[in-house]
Amino acid sequence: MSRVSIIGSGNVGANAAFFIAEKGVTDVLLIDIKQGLSRGKALDIMEAAPIRRYRNSLNGSDSLADIAGSQMVVIAAGTIRAPGMRREDLYGENAALIRTLAPEVARLAPESIVVIATEPVDSLTALFTIRSGMPRTRVLGLGGILDSMRMRALIAREMDVSMEIVSAMVIGRHSDDMICLPRYSSVSGVPVPQLLPADRIANIVSETRSAGDLVVELAKRSSAYYAPSAAIAEVADAVHMNLARILPISLMLDGEYGIKDAALSVPSIVGETGVTRILTPELTKEEKDTLAQSARLIASVVKGGAA
Amino acid sequence: MKVTVIGAGNVGAKAVYYIAEKNIADIVMVDVVDGLAQSKAMDFLHAAPLRGYEVGIRGTTDFAEMAGSDVVVITAGIARKPGMDRMDLLRTNVGIARQAAKEIARRAPNAVVIVVTNPLDVIAMAVLRETGFALSKVIGMAGVLDSTRFRWFIAERLGIWPGDVQAMVLGGHGDDMVPLTSFTSVGGIPITQLLDATTIESLVGRTRTGGAEIVGLLKTGSAFYAPGASVAKMVEAVIKDEKRLIPASVYLRGQYGMRDIFLGVPVILGKNGVEQILELPLTETEKKSLEASAESVRRAVRDLDTL
Repeated sequence: MSRVSIIGSGNVGANAAFFIAEKGVTDVLLIDIKQGLSRGKALDIMEAAPIRRYRNSLNGSDSLADIAGSQMVVIAAGTIRAPGMRREDLYGENAALIRTLAPEVARLAPESIVVIATEPVDSLTALFTIRSGMPRTRVLGLGGILDSMRMRALIAREMDVSMEIVSAMVIGRHSDDMICLPRYSSVSGVPVPQLLPADRIANIVSETRSAGDLVVELAKRSSAYYAPSAAIAEVADAVHMNLARILPISLMLDGEYGIKDAALSVPSIVGETGVTRILTPELTKEEKDTLAQSARLIASVVKGGAA
Repeated sequence: MKVTVIGAGNVGAKAVYYIAEKNIADIVMVDVVDGLAQSKAMDFLHAAPLRGYEVGIRGTTDFAEMAGSDVVVITAGIARKPGMDRMDLLRTNVGIARQAAKEIARRAPNAVVIVVTNPLDVIAMAVLRETGFALSKVIGMAGVLDSTRFRWFIAERLGIWPGDVQAMVLGGHGDDMVPLTSFTSVGGIPITQLLDATTIESLVGRTRTGGAEIVGLLKTGSAFYAPGASVAKMVEAVIKDEKRLIPASVYLRGQYGMRDIFLGVPVILGKNGVEQILELPLTETEKKSLEASAESVRRAVRDLDTL
């Protein structure tokens, strides 16, 4: 079986391992610098296997060297937000971690697809790509996929329909300036603007923007991790099964929408080699301006090395 | 929960298979041919230890066993053979459907009835009249099948995962069905941004003749995997009250300017059957196609009136 290695065995990492285990198609290795943590969580998950019936193996390790040969490496390590903090406030601390990890991952698992779940995700995806020297199509940030999941859930709740038939698109920066695109969101193919009045769509958009903040506010001592872990498992599935799925993934742009030197979420086709194609649906001038502004912020943070 | 499938031919048996795999309801298969439903149910149960079914599966010739069903699916009927007169097919299948409807009205008076037997839109009318059920309780399965074919053709063409394609196909279940390209998208992006008009038109054409293409290849018999899966999707939407937005053939009372006719339109399907009929804005061309589709259904219903 091919293997997904998850660096960081906190809530996001461990739950990603759990969701991937439930799919039952890849082995999972949890890694954390905290001695014993990864092995403890892996054991706990494996002891549920007789009941949940998964047959793939889950292991834990304290050593980064064990990621060698992984098909996918997930970066879920780092500091999380406390109530009142912005994702960007984490840059200083977490960028230091990425600067250490990037060359090591490139050396130990040079052929792997890397998924960045650590915040602020777009800046760190850009930083990881630069520092690792890996192709941009193999360093994927978990931004729009998570935001669009949340928007899907909110549309389904608002319309009282099954979540599974709702598709939603959120692109741009995984922050207050994310771009929710209701006209590219639909229910069984029917665009959302034809199903809901403008004011209710505006509410959905604003709730989507602050969905992550709300979880931090309510949970107080943790940030969201179920939805982010589910998003990681979704990407793992697309890669492992070579699904060619369309997912809004953050990656270094190279001229798409006229942007370079920044990572932002755009709809991308994801398969076993990472991103095989980047789609650029038509945007309004205002949306393109927002995208360009987000890109400038990210590029300056990554270049400046500070938040 | 209990589901009865009337007709243990290929479509009925495949529908039972997909429903059984979901483990959501006990299943009864009824067929007037002695031994047919019993043998297929037995075959299913022999696989139960491997597949871990948690639901009961019974085969019988006795309609009494459908008592109390929450959903009844009518798949019984003959397929049109080369050279067979259309009226002969109608006469035979209407006879079968009326007998089934009578039994349903008596034994499962609260059931949601899903009609699969062709000619679909006409048989649905016969079943509605015979059962005297509420309009929301009799639903024809066509649009889900036509849409899933359209979705597959698009996914195949673009080389992407079919689950990311959403599409809506309206109208009667015939050569004049109406695939709505304006309600068809890939990961939320309208297909008009991803495929040129000629390609889309060819995929629409292939969808219209999708059933015939399979009949042509099989020589004897017609499609049953996709139809079976489509039935299971609708059954699941009712059993789990999913409020799924799907195209289905339902009785119209003025929607889309149509009256007293079964025609494929977008509906929300839940535990009460048709929870809501959605009226989408159509282009002039789409309106004309829908009208043409309705006219051929009306003609067939006039034939029904003579039987």
